[in-house]
Amino acid sequence: MTVSSAEPRSASLLECRDLEYAYLGRFPALDRVSLTVERGESVALLGANGCGKSTLLKLLDGLLFPAAGSYRAFGTDVTEDHLEDDQFSRAFRGRVGFIFQNSDAQVFSPTVRDEVAFGPLNMGLEHAAAVARVDDTLAMLDITGLADRAPYQLSGGEKKRVAIASVLAMNPEVLLFDEPTAALDPRTQHWMVELIAELHDVGKTIVLATHDLEAVPLVADRCVVLGEDHRVARDGPTRAVLEDVTLLQSTNLVHAHAHLHAGATAPHAHAHDSGHH
Amino acid sequence: MGTDESATTATTRRLSPDWLLRDEIGLCPCGCVGKRRRGGFVEKTLSGVSGLVRGAMFSEDVAATPGLLQRIDARVKVVTLLGLLVVAAFLHSIAALATMYVVALVVASASRLSVRFFVARVWLFVPVFTGIVVLPATLNLVTPGTIVVPLGHWFGGPVGLTAEGLESAGLIVMRVAVSISLVVLLTLTTPWTRLLHALRSLRLPATVILVLAMAYRYLFHLLAAVEDMYTARRARTVVPDRDLRNGRRFVAASAGALFGKAYGLSEEVYLAMVARGFTGDVRLLAPDRVKRRDLAWCVACGGLGLVLLWGDRVLG
Repeated sequence: MTVSSAEPRSASLLECRDLEYAYLGRFPALDRVSLTVERGESVALLGANGCGKSTLLKLLDGLLFPAAGSYRAFGTDVTEDHLEDDQFSRAFRGRVGFIFQNSDAQVFSPTVRDEVAFGPLNMGLEHAAAVARVDDTLAMLDITGLADRAPYQLSGGEKKRVAIASVLAMNPEVLLFDEPTAALDPRTQHWMVELIAELHDVGKTIVLATHDLEAVPLVADRCVVLGEDHRVARDGPTRAVLEDVTLLQSTNLVHAHAHLHAGATAPHAHAHDSGHH
Repeated sequence: MGTDESATTATTRRLSPDWLLRDEIGLCPCGCVGKRRRGGFVEKTLSGVSGLVRGAMFSEDVAATPGLLQRIDARVKVVTLLGLLVVAAFLHSIAALATMYVVALVVASASRLSVRFFVARVWLFVPVFTGIVVLPATLNLVTPGTIVVPLGHWFGGPVGLTAEGLESAGLIVMRVAVSISLVVLLTLTTPWTRLLHALRSLRLPATVILVLAMAYRYLFHLLAAVEDMYTARRARTVVPDRDLRNGRRFVAASAGALFGKAYGLSEEVYLAMVARGFTGDVRLLAPDRVKRRDLAWCVACGGLGLVLLWGDRVLG
């Protein structure tokens, strides 16, 4: 089987139409979700727990396939059938990188060096080229000292860096991040936000799922809000979306919280991840 | 802050049942001392888990020490120590085996292993696995010969340990001790990851290597899950439950939960592999080139083997 590799330059880089997906065919995760991502864009998928953000990312990475609707990447339909084609699979996997929320699932090799080499070797790079990429990526993320360490000897933040290195070593055009700042200490969160912004600046297309509203303006130009009904509630520029408190409340991204201020009740909106005062 | 706290307290009072707002009786107010109970299976499992992790970390620390064997390439170590194991199997004199054991002790010391720990680790297993097996062979009932240690008259005749029986038992015990020493030397001075690389270069299929590597990697992850489950149970155990049925139920439930976790994790790991281009063919980094000191070690081991085989023939 062959897959057409002709890529219309004007088309959106990633294009989803009316995607539907339900786990075990019974538990809906996505309901008629449409999304386009242009080359060089940075898009944040926002939504409460269980609204389908991670599922959408897995669909964008061709790890799950929709029950209905269509998904095109780089001008070609991404289907289970097409991904069985070696050439298409290698091209697609090389161009789209996915950083999982659970670094323990992503860091599976015996050492950090093996982990980072896994992607380049599977892309078919020569051994020497793969080794050079591993060294460069480790140096770029300042984890050269961890190269011969086993994953169980790493902290959560170190594992996250290794997971990112393992994907960056493949030099993908599109980077999908699932909850990149979750369960990280403040310094690592800051590092992560800076890294995503830097990758965006150098031209990478970023799609990230998060409910860390504080980080969103620093890393995303555009936000797509998924509601608890698993549909797209809003798609627009980051600032406009974050200022729409009614929308954020209705999608369970912030909640109204009454406080007493000098005897008077003052309602506030709180993001889930930000600290209460 | 004070007003915020009072608002929160007011909300809590409104939503919480009365019993949640009252303190539970803790220590007896009269200050009497309760009965002490020894830890049950929860404590034993927890200490087992931490012992296993501690053991693995100790091995990794030893393997990272800059000693003689730690500097040798893992592939060379595997091949040479396997060769010496074969030589040990061919030796028929206790003196030659004892020489080999002394050499193993010297190498252990040069590799910065505690000789006391090394000896204890080897001789802990030898009596258990070999001593009991070879014990009957020392009796004249099994190995006829000159009785050197009489044990009395049984079954209508003298019974005792024979010189021939003791010699053959000593030979087997020494051979096992030397073999275990060589294996312990290899495993203690080689990180698990290097050992896997060595096995890979010895043409073990890449899939087998990947499965072994992942099993070892996730062993620690799942051990942490077991530790969490058992610690959570201990944290909520007010009085130790002596009913074994409840214990069995908990163990079965935690095994089921662990299986579920392992299954979910395996699915996610597979997706993470596919996302990075895995299609079923395992590709791993090739090990480094063999250095001059590795060749010197090869020559030394080869020479030792030949000298021992020659000495064994002369003595035998």
